[in-house]
Amino acid sequence: MPQSQTILCVDDEALGLQVRKTVLERAGYQVFTALNGQSAIDLFKKTSVDVVVLDYFMPGMDGGQVAAAMREVRKSIPILLLSAYIDLPSEVIALADITMLKGEGPDELLSKVKTLLIRDDARPEQGSYR
Amino acid sequence: MNLREFNRILREILIVPIIALLLLAVFVLWQIKTTADAQRWLDRSDEITSQIQELQRRIIDQETGLRGFQLTNDPAMLSPFKQASAPIDKQFNVLHDLLSDSEEQSKRLAILHDRYELWLGFAQSVLAKDPATIGNPQMNQHGNELMENVRTVVHDLLHAEGRVRHQRSLAAADLERHELIVILISAVAIGLFLGLFARIRFRAVSRSYEAAINEAEKRANDLFESRQWFKTTLESIGDGVISCDLGDRVQFMNAVAENLTGWHLQEALGQPVEQVFRILNEESRQPAENPIEKVRRLQRVIGVTNHTVLLSRSGKEYRIDDSAAPIRDRNGKMTGVVLIFRDVTEVRRTEAALIAGEKLAVAGRLAASIAHEIHNPLDSVANLHFLIGHEDDPSTRAEYLQLAQQELGRTMQISRTMLSLYREPKAPVEVDLADLLKGVLLLLERRLAHQEITVERDFPASLVIEGFPAELRQVFTNIIVNAVEAVGAKGRIHIHMERVPAEEFRAAGAVVEITDSGPGIADQISENLFQPFFTTKGEEGTGLGLWVSLGIVQKHGGAIRIANSANHNLHGASVRVYLPFHTLASASSRSTAYLRE
Repeated sequence: MPQSQTILCVDDEALGLQVRKTVLERAGYQVFTALNGQSAIDLFKKTSVDVVVLDYFMPGMDGGQVAAAMREVRKSIPILLLSAYIDLPSEVIALADITMLKGEGPDELLSKVKTLLIRDDARPEQGSYR
Repeated sequence: MNLREFNRILREILIVPIIALLLLAVFVLWQIKTTADAQRWLDRSDEITSQIQELQRRIIDQETGLRGFQLTNDPAMLSPFKQASAPIDKQFNVLHDLLSDSEEQSKRLAILHDRYELWLGFAQSVLAKDPATIGNPQMNQHGNELMENVRTVVHDLLHAEGRVRHQRSLAAADLERHELIVILISAVAIGLFLGLFARIRFRAVSRSYEAAINEAEKRANDLFESRQWFKTTLESIGDGVISCDLGDRVQFMNAVAENLTGWHLQEALGQPVEQVFRILNEESRQPAENPIEKVRRLQRVIGVTNHTVLLSRSGKEYRIDDSAAPIRDRNGKMTGVVLIFRDVTEVRRTEAALIAGEKLAVAGRLAASIAHEIHNPLDSVANLHFLIGHEDDPSTRAEYLQLAQQELGRTMQISRTMLSLYREPKAPVEVDLADLLKGVLLLLERRLAHQEITVERDFPASLVIEGFPAELRQVFTNIIVNAVEAVGAKGRIHIHMERVPAEEFRAAGAVVEITDSGPGIADQISENLFQPFFTTKGEEGTGLGLWVSLGIVQKHGGAIRIANSANHNLHGASVRVYLPFHTLASASSRSTAYLRE
């Protein structure tokens, strides 16, 4: 097994977040979790993260704001934006690489994470750590 | 010209000629009297002349008698002399009276009397003498001279009187001519005056009569025009209009009324209005009270009555709104009633569609929350299902199963709460307002959390009223979502609920007050808040939320008031909803709002 790739999972739903983390760990990823936007950004700055799986609808900062903040830190960070409903604002969709509806299932989640990682590997690193 | 003036002129036309003719008559009488006076003077002159001639005749008789006696010496010859003596004295007295007004003639009469006395003295002396001397010529000569003197004076008297008479006759003729001319002139003048006067006054009357005719004609035209005006207006409006007299007999109906009732005006004229305008209560199907009857009873305008069905002559039914007003005369006395009604069948259908649409819109406003509430557990369940499939450890699998069960339970609860927005009993049931509010807040939980809105719940654990839970849930969802939208991120919403005792015009019930920390309500929009299609949210709002909410609350017998909060800590809008403990509403009760016009 190669050095495991790291994923940052952000969701205010503790149970959902925990289950999602287990699913991703089972697939071999190293998973960090955050229960709100601010702690996610803090964690993101401190840690090397390959993919961010971000919930949109959260108290305080929503997924869009968190994604924007992360893009300021690392412009090319692959972001998978999860949401419970389809009607996301277009500027938010633009901030994410891929969006996904909650409930589409773990297979879909894993395949999308994988796609993002492959795409990320294929392009040159543009972002920088501060 | 008014009637009083007209009567005055008529009186003048009658009285003025009478007065003028009376004056003329007095004048003519006076003239006749003057003529009669002149004639009397002439008669007097004639009388005097004839008296003098009579006196002269008697004196001559005496002289003749004396002369006969002297010649014959026969005493029988003296009888004329003696007979004439007494009448002559009397004649002198009469003449004395008649000539008393003329000094000249009186003097002449006195001279005559003296001369006659002289002659009479002579005659006495002749009779007293010796009969031998009677025939003495000398004596006779003296007697003749004396008598000649008498004759001269008589002649003078007669001559003078003749002159007087002639003058008087001339004067009388003059007077007569003069009077004739004056009378003629007066008559002509009076005639002219009366003619002119009558002409002037009649002209005034004729002018005013003409003016009156013109005025009447103008009024008739105006009346016709105004009747046409009102008739056309009434014919052209979209409402049915029936007017009737105090005996409830139809006097007029417009085309719309003809259409809706199925009666033609010609047939309906004079018919009892209850026969033409047959109405039933929409719910009870019992004949409804005729609005005309009500107006007569209350003597004032009565507003729109609802739940009324008009039964057309053809058997067709129309849902109508009707109102009625008294028709009054100039003194305010009621002379009839006008009935106005409109077919609201389509309006009711549209309203029903709007209300149904608004129900969906409320669901739409909850969609984001609900989707989140359902998709989150579903996501966990799907993930857990995946893990169970890949898990070998039975205890971990059991744990995953239990978690999945828990998440499915949460989904069920959300779905049940959502469905309760739509499931509605046929009759009012007991509703716990506290539970109901909790349910609404549960659906909104996610959204409230997302916006970090604090909801302060200040209500008892349970407060039960009668009502339709789905509709009431719709009302409170609407009001709370409005508050959520108004306060924005990190806002505050305070929900207070309490029991209120009965008051003079209000039964005991519950008041729910929802106050927010938003910007409040601008004065200029506060009166439009309950109007359908009024929204401050642009494309986002349907503008029906508060209108439908008001309709629902009114159906329950309650009321809604919206004002700016008087609370020092929360400065936004404050919505107070009053609901009575017991409601008379039924499933078919009208649920559209009564708005002040």
